[in-house]
Amino acid sequence: MQLQRPLFAVLLILSLIATMAFAGVAAAQELPEALVTADWLEENLDNPDIRVIEVSVVPGVYERGHIPGAVNFVWHTDFVDTVTRDIVSAERFQELARAAGINDDTTVILYGDNNNWFAAWGAWIFKLYGFDDVRLLDGGRVKWEADGRPLSTSVETYPEGNLTVSEANEALRARRDEVLSIVEGETPGTLIDIRSAAEYNGEIFAPEGVPELSVRAGHIPGALNVPWGQNVKEDGTFKSVDELRALYADLGIDGSTPLVTYCRIGERAALTWFVLSQLLGYDVALYDGSWTEWGNTVGVPIVNPAGTVWGGQ
Amino acid sequence: MSNSVAGGSAISGAAPNAFHLSRADLLRAGIAVAIFLALIVGAYALHDTPGQGARASFSLLTGVALGIVFERGRFCFFCIFRDFIEFRNSGPLYAVLTALAVGGIGYAIVFGAFLPNAGSGRLPPDAHIGPVSWVLVVAGAAFGLGMALSGACISGHLYRLGEGYLRAPIALLGSLIGFAAGFYTWQTVYLAAISRAPVAWLPATFGYGGALVIHLLLLGLLAVLLLRFVPPLAAGEGGRLTLARLYEATFRKRWNPLVTGGLVGLIGVFAYFRVQPLGVTSQLSSLTRTVLENNGLLAGRLNGLDTFAGCAAVVVETITENGWLISGLVLGSLAVAVLAGRFELSTLTVRNSITALLGGILMGWGSMLALGCTVGTLLSGISAFAVSGWIFGFAVFAGVWLGIRLRLNA
Repeated sequence: MQLQRPLFAVLLILSLIATMAFAGVAAAQELPEALVTADWLEENLDNPDIRVIEVSVVPGVYERGHIPGAVNFVWHTDFVDTVTRDIVSAERFQELARAAGINDDTTVILYGDNNNWFAAWGAWIFKLYGFDDVRLLDGGRVKWEADGRPLSTSVETYPEGNLTVSEANEALRARRDEVLSIVEGETPGTLIDIRSAAEYNGEIFAPEGVPELSVRAGHIPGALNVPWGQNVKEDGTFKSVDELRALYADLGIDGSTPLVTYCRIGERAALTWFVLSQLLGYDVALYDGSWTEWGNTVGVPIVNPAGTVWGGQ
Repeated sequence: MSNSVAGGSAISGAAPNAFHLSRADLLRAGIAVAIFLALIVGAYALHDTPGQGARASFSLLTGVALGIVFERGRFCFFCIFRDFIEFRNSGPLYAVLTALAVGGIGYAIVFGAFLPNAGSGRLPPDAHIGPVSWVLVVAGAAFGLGMALSGACISGHLYRLGEGYLRAPIALLGSLIGFAAGFYTWQTVYLAAISRAPVAWLPATFGYGGALVIHLLLLGLLAVLLLRFVPPLAAGEGGRLTLARLYEATFRKRWNPLVTGGLVGLIGVFAYFRVQPLGVTSQLSSLTRTVLENNGLLAGRLNGLDTFAGCAAVVVETITENGWLISGLVLGSLAVAVLAGRFELSTLTVRNSITALLGGILMGWGSMLALGCTVGTLLSGISAFAVSGWIFGFAVFAGVWLGIRLRLNA
């Protein structure tokens, strides 16, 4: 027994270390897989297996300082097709991703201005084209700046990547006719309108200063109103998974039915799509046509509690 | 820093060798220091104000720097153009050429980081590269006439406000009316010309290197052509550079145009790198647009206006970065004008008030349609290799020339 004491002590210390290490991992893993913290990202900027992409829509934001090594994707031209009002084509997306040095086994981390709205759209596109390991920087650009973390103005170039996109996974995307069939009760599903209450209720046609309009105000019949801001805390980071699950459960959304999120042009709804699908693991599709398509479509019903009529009484 | 190089101050006279400050000098210095301290405190406060932050603070300080350089170097486009047109003195024009040369080099450096591939079909973010059409010529000529009528361009009025030039507030008020007139003209002009006008940017065709070579060759050519209009230089002063002479050269005498221009060019590059290209009309025209729109006097949508980079008006409810810049400009100029003993309330007459107002209206109208004035479209535009900047610049010069020939400035 005398001999076993040191061994026992060693084992005890080893197990303590293991527990602490595990606790450390557990602490780092508290966030869902689909999110990374600013702390983690700052420590991993030199990791060649990750690629950071900024998706901001205010001109000059990326150029005047971005997370070191980040590549710029322009939402208006890189993630959408300006001619067909569609998402970016598979060929063009593959070309862009390869030019950013993204391989099939790269971990892609997206962030951007406007509370990650457009970055979330980017994550949706990556997922849609079959790329799995895509994550968001929790809190986005605003949090990174507020923390006083380093920014760089130099633009890195990377050797051509080998990412191969697959066919668009249409399950992640809701088309107008599918939404109509949910409205008419032919397909099960719950619609979530993430715009402001004033837009949902038809009091206003669009947020102030936004020129792209719909001729009708209101919402899609049956849609629940959960403004996107309810997903995040004051500093822009996401609420905890438990809080989010409770938030949606209170509204009767527990993942048992397929979900469809929409907003005005689809960008803010991408954030809620991200929360519901990537953080809570629910079955959810993004209706990217959103209100600018639905509100302008001939022959589809709306609900407009405010009773506003375009252009007059 | 000799002051007797091309186009320097005409006032000569030996500087005192002993460094002596009179009571009046000390009082003036005290006031100037107090203004600068207030500005620094203001910059710190802005930095920590929610919704303002570093960009606002940087803009205020950029404005202060511009105010100092504009005042100390008399960087007034009208005065510079008039010296050449009326007095055949091209000296001060070298300040503009130098500012554009330094600005061009700096912009090329910044562009290389912002938009590595000049030929990608994109334009660098926010750079003042405007649509090229006859509108620029008309707007520039109107702006030039307005300069002659009112005695300065818009940035000139802003810094001369700090020198106590009382026509400046009247001209600036006029410019607000002019902006309003510009908004009512915009829809027609946009559909008639601007919507189809090419946005010509030299690097898209020639690359950054090629564009910079063309830019510097053009400026160099102008510099050579203008050389024979430089007045005879004063005899060399010689002797040691004493503290008294340094003080005299820095705080009392007009700065050498090459120094002034170089600093203006550098400030322009720093401003573009950190916040946005230099311009002085965006806050003023935005204010006008907001007032009109809030009172239902202007359509909420000005077709195409929001798609161009430049000093375009937007609907604002707060003081923008541009507002802090022009505030800093006026106060920076005031501080150094007081220090130099150049602060003096000018006399107002009915006639010079009316001409200031009319000139202001013309300048407001012209700068609205040209998406900027002599700073935003000419200085920041040409530095960014925009063809629109050159066209506007020549049109403004022609307008000033016509105005002087018509004796509008008399």
